[in-house]
Amino acid sequence: MKMYLPPPGTKPTRRGFLKKGLLGGALLALGSGAFLFTRKSVLVEAPADGLSVLTEREFAVLTALSYRLIPRREGFPGVEVVQVARACDRILSLVDVTALTEMKQLLLLFENALPNFLFGRRASTFSTMSTDDQDAVLAEWQTSRLTVRRTGYTALRGLVMAGYFASDTTWAGMGYPGPHAGIHDANAPVWKGGGADRPLGNGTWRAPAAPTVDGGTP
Amino acid sequence: MTAGRIFTGDELTKDLTLECDVCVVGSGSGGAWTAHELVKQGRSVVMLEEGGYHTRREFDMTEPRAYQHLYQELGNRATDDLSMTILQGKSVGGGTTVNWCSSFRTPERILKHWRERFGIETVSTGVLTPHWEQIERRLHVAEWPLESINANNKVLWDGLGALGYERGLIRRNVNNCLNLGYCGLGCPVDAKQSMLVTVIPDAVEQGLSLYANTAARVLDWDGRRVTAVRAEVLDPVSKKPTGVKVVVKPKVTVVSGGAINSPGLLMRSQLLSEGRVGERTWFHPVMIMMAEFEHEVNAFHGAPQSVYSHHFVDRGPGKMGFFLEVPPVQPMLAATVATGSGLDTLELMTKLKHLQVMLAIHVDGLLPDEEGGTVRLREGSQSRYSIKYAFTPAHWEAFRTACKEMAKLQFAAGAKMVRSLHLAPVTLKSAADLDRLDAAAWAPVQVRVATAHQMGGCAMGKDPSSSVVDPHLKYHTLDNLFVVDGSVLPTSLGVNPQETIFGLARWAAGHIGQAV
Repeated sequence: MKMYLPPPGTKPTRRGFLKKGLLGGALLALGSGAFLFTRKSVLVEAPADGLSVLTEREFAVLTALSYRLIPRREGFPGVEVVQVARACDRILSLVDVTALTEMKQLLLLFENALPNFLFGRRASTFSTMSTDDQDAVLAEWQTSRLTVRRTGYTALRGLVMAGYFASDTTWAGMGYPGPHAGIHDANAPVWKGGGADRPLGNGTWRAPAAPTVDGGTP
Repeated sequence: MTAGRIFTGDELTKDLTLECDVCVVGSGSGGAWTAHELVKQGRSVVMLEEGGYHTRREFDMTEPRAYQHLYQELGNRATDDLSMTILQGKSVGGGTTVNWCSSFRTPERILKHWRERFGIETVSTGVLTPHWEQIERRLHVAEWPLESINANNKVLWDGLGALGYERGLIRRNVNNCLNLGYCGLGCPVDAKQSMLVTVIPDAVEQGLSLYANTAARVLDWDGRRVTAVRAEVLDPVSKKPTGVKVVVKPKVTVVSGGAINSPGLLMRSQLLSEGRVGERTWFHPVMIMMAEFEHEVNAFHGAPQSVYSHHFVDRGPGKMGFFLEVPPVQPMLAATVATGSGLDTLELMTKLKHLQVMLAIHVDGLLPDEEGGTVRLREGSQSRYSIKYAFTPAHWEAFRTACKEMAKLQFAAGAKMVRSLHLAPVTLKSAADLDRLDAAAWAPVQVRVATAHQMGGCAMGKDPSSSVVDPHLKYHTLDNLFVVDGSVLPTSLGVNPQETIFGLARWAAGHIGQAV
């Protein structure tokens, strides 16, 4: 039998979550196809250590998005401090190639002036808009009657939130104390069998004089 | 007896061909117990696990590390339209490495339904009870003491008491638990009695060979027999294929990849059961309500799940039931699950210490017209699937009812504000505001739906024309292929599924061994 068979009896879903019928396909064409109503993006400086998977343009869109999805608020570090767009680029470097492709298409769709014009009468790219217009575009995607636009909003929001709140620099703003100190053992033995004695751990860990609450016998 | 070994991707640098009695694909709740029982019978067993071998050395209780290494698709698995987020484990130990330790035996009413609707006579309370007793002993399953529940669970307990609803304390599979609260990120002290630290090492001591970072891609089969399992080795860091191939030639194959990956493996192998593979997938869809309290809740610390209510689990004919529990509330999970504008989310997160979160977990698959979810292959990917889920009017009725009931419970326990997880959140100031939820948008991608329980897709049943495996978990048209995991469940359960799968696996290992 041949290895890595093509999907049997299934319809390919090349464009995944955005390709929902005719309208979804049309939206994607606007985002990833030729820029029928081309406007420039505002490029931003790429991270010093380079980009993993995003292009400069995609990085610029993500940067603009992160500023609006995580606006400045006292007690929280700014997105430039956390380097949210860079963090998102690193996250995307770990995802399946199909998910990466879809996210790239979504970023360009979000940036593209033509859908912004069609849906909101704004003839400019997202990255060049005023912050008020950017907020309005985000709100339109969030509250759209079209599921595909709400899906796109949800995907972008999730990525940016993950990129931001993955940083422990955000903990203070939430009053989150972090994990308990003195518990994690970075040198704990890793047992792989092969006749070696099974160490404490692997189900036999015992707390040195630590209180337990489940009635277990230390 | 020859001691077994755990191999990881960095050690697998040359193509391998292995012969054995049984190849088990997957190391979670189904695969681990099956392999454990088979090695005890003296069978030679090779286990393949796509995820990595991560242990307490790495379990530093931080979210980014955990989601990257311990969850499918970095915790981002979801239905195609993102209407449902799917939290699913991916490492040695599978979901048991990251679940919240809740241990329930299968409810009798569910087994009765399977018997009457699907002709499943093999699996009964009487048959499974001796297995559950052994399992509970090994995994130290015991009720969590009321005096040790955290404030997040206490809200549920108090609310249930105030409203006179049924309530109970959850039995947890822990030993010497320090009540830290980071079960979902990998237990840093091995107190959680997951497969990673119990049954798998037990089996390795008795001869199991476990290949981590080794993804089964396709089953070769000829006539009525599986002849080989073809796998490829993944880099432990990048998770990308290294080019090294592993071929296992077993006498019997057991697929235990869980309710999404097992159907995926069968579909890649052109084992489709006339399209039923990947159909009728059940998710226990979860509704979530967040509440703010005057006092600190600190829901990020303390045993995550210790209180439950089955008060609404059976709501009568035509209505979908739900049961109530709570989740841990660590920052990254909370912020990504929360809805509303960016500023709104930041405001919410400033109240993290005072947030209480409640879950209503819906029992899908029991209503006559439910189709559930569908899993299909996705072109260009070996690990990401096309997943769809059909919400019905019964879902939306139950979701709305559940959100109201959760808000009632939270206010009864003293909440000063409750909010829904709609894209435009509904904020309630008191129980008098509950009707505002009726006016909210109840539609896909209008309100957050999540799942941590994946079931079905390779349903067991007596009739080959309506199921994938028979009541002994054998694939209907092949003589040496079994599926042993949550994918065989013909409906959802109405309880957290790990112990049901443990029991099925330990029971099934008996006749699987005889098939060698």
